[in-house]
Amino acid sequence: MVRGLWSAQRYNQDPWPGVGNPPTLQGGEIQQYFGYSPRVPTTLHFESVRRRFGRLAVLKGVSGTVEPGGMLLVTGANGSGKSTLLRCLSGLLAPDSGKIEYQENGAGLDIAERRQRVGVVSPDLAFYAELTVAENLDFFSRLRRVSSAAGFAVLDRLALPADRLAGALSSGMRQRLRWAWALLHSPRLLLLDEPFQNFDAAGERVARELLAEHLAGGGLAVVANPSTLDFDHAAQRLDLGG
Amino acid sequence: MRRNASTWAAEAAAVFVKEWRCEFRTRYSLNTLALFAFTTLVVVSFSLGPLGVSKSQGTSLLPVLLWIILLFSVAAGLPRAFVQEEETQTATALRLAATPSALFCGKLLYGLSLVFALEALVTPIYVAMTSLDVASPGLLVAVLAAGGYGLAVGSTLVAAIIAQARTKGTLFSVLAFPVLLPLLVLAVELTRNAASGAAPDVALPQLLLYDAVVTIAGLMLFPLVWNP
Repeated sequence: MVRGLWSAQRYNQDPWPGVGNPPTLQGGEIQQYFGYSPRVPTTLHFESVRRRFGRLAVLKGVSGTVEPGGMLLVTGANGSGKSTLLRCLSGLLAPDSGKIEYQENGAGLDIAERRQRVGVVSPDLAFYAELTVAENLDFFSRLRRVSSAAGFAVLDRLALPADRLAGALSSGMRQRLRWAWALLHSPRLLLLDEPFQNFDAAGERVARELLAEHLAGGGLAVVANPSTLDFDHAAQRLDLGG
Repeated sequence: MRRNASTWAAEAAAVFVKEWRCEFRTRYSLNTLALFAFTTLVVVSFSLGPLGVSKSQGTSLLPVLLWIILLFSVAAGLPRAFVQEEETQTATALRLAATPSALFCGKLLYGLSLVFALEALVTPIYVAMTSLDVASPGLLVAVLAAGGYGLAVGSTLVAAIIAQARTKGTLFSVLAFPVLLPLLVLAVELTRNAASGAAPDVALPQLLLYDAVVTIAGLMLFPLVWNP
């Protein structure tokens, strides 16, 4: 049952919502009729993204594209802008220039929609220390207007006790909670900043399985890590240097 | 993406419930507000008790002191609403999950419940200890309700603005002063009217208008303040 939640059928959504049988249109006609190309239902494309903090230019024109089932691995030294890029992609930070386009089922999302649709795992993420793991997930599932079942299923797989206070979690346990939180609303796009940090071997194995299932189901992922990670899935690479 | 009113209200309610759940476990705001209110109440009551101020002076002076007690008690506890989210880094998760207007309303509801609880606790004790005669109790309740709402919404908005600043305490005082000054002027005047039995005239509609304007401004400004 648990694995079923993360199976490919989760992403087998109707690419023609509310339309019924697709009309028999060809190529450019489809794009003209519906405003998007059905061949790229969910994509992330960013181009010439620049971001400065005062005089310090952190991102100097970064570009990339991620398509369904695809993963972009962003590497670079500390301070090279990996986390800044992910914050820009998630909508938490506005780039100074450049464009970020994210489409789900062919419909472009603005920055506010993108912020609420993506799944984020980041060292910056913290949860309410006074609440238990279950209460935290329940609260955020209410905000996201989804059942908390998906989050609890991930908790089970990651062997994270739901009744423990978030403030009493070890760093590895907190990372497990971040994964459960990120997958709570079954996002199509995962933005993972150092996704395996603080994990023990078992935790990392499960997290890698979750990522592989996400990609196998047609999801997208951008992974930022200081060094190259070995993945079963072939990943595009973007080196921000140092 | 359009959201209907019920899901929006459910989001605001979730924030409200979360705030109280965290508050009951830490009791930070409750303790701060209660201690500050108790201390100022005792100081004012002993300094200006029934023997320290004449009845005519009391009608004009005591309402001012009541609102000063309420203002400073609120200022001691309410600015934490968003500051704590930033300091504990839970703001990032909230930004990624919550609809800004629902978050603002949830926080406002929490602040409002705190202010009303504070008023319900402080006002009867203050009136009894200072022997303040209230000729029009109905008007006093209306002023406390409208004034308390104004305090809550103004403080919540200013708290959101200062949350990402470095000098939060100073900035709250600087920004809250122009926002809350009209409210306090009207609330003091109306409380005097309630004490003397005079008609509220235009001050009550003005206070209600202030509440409406600050609420609308808060709903419009908050998404801009909260998100990049």
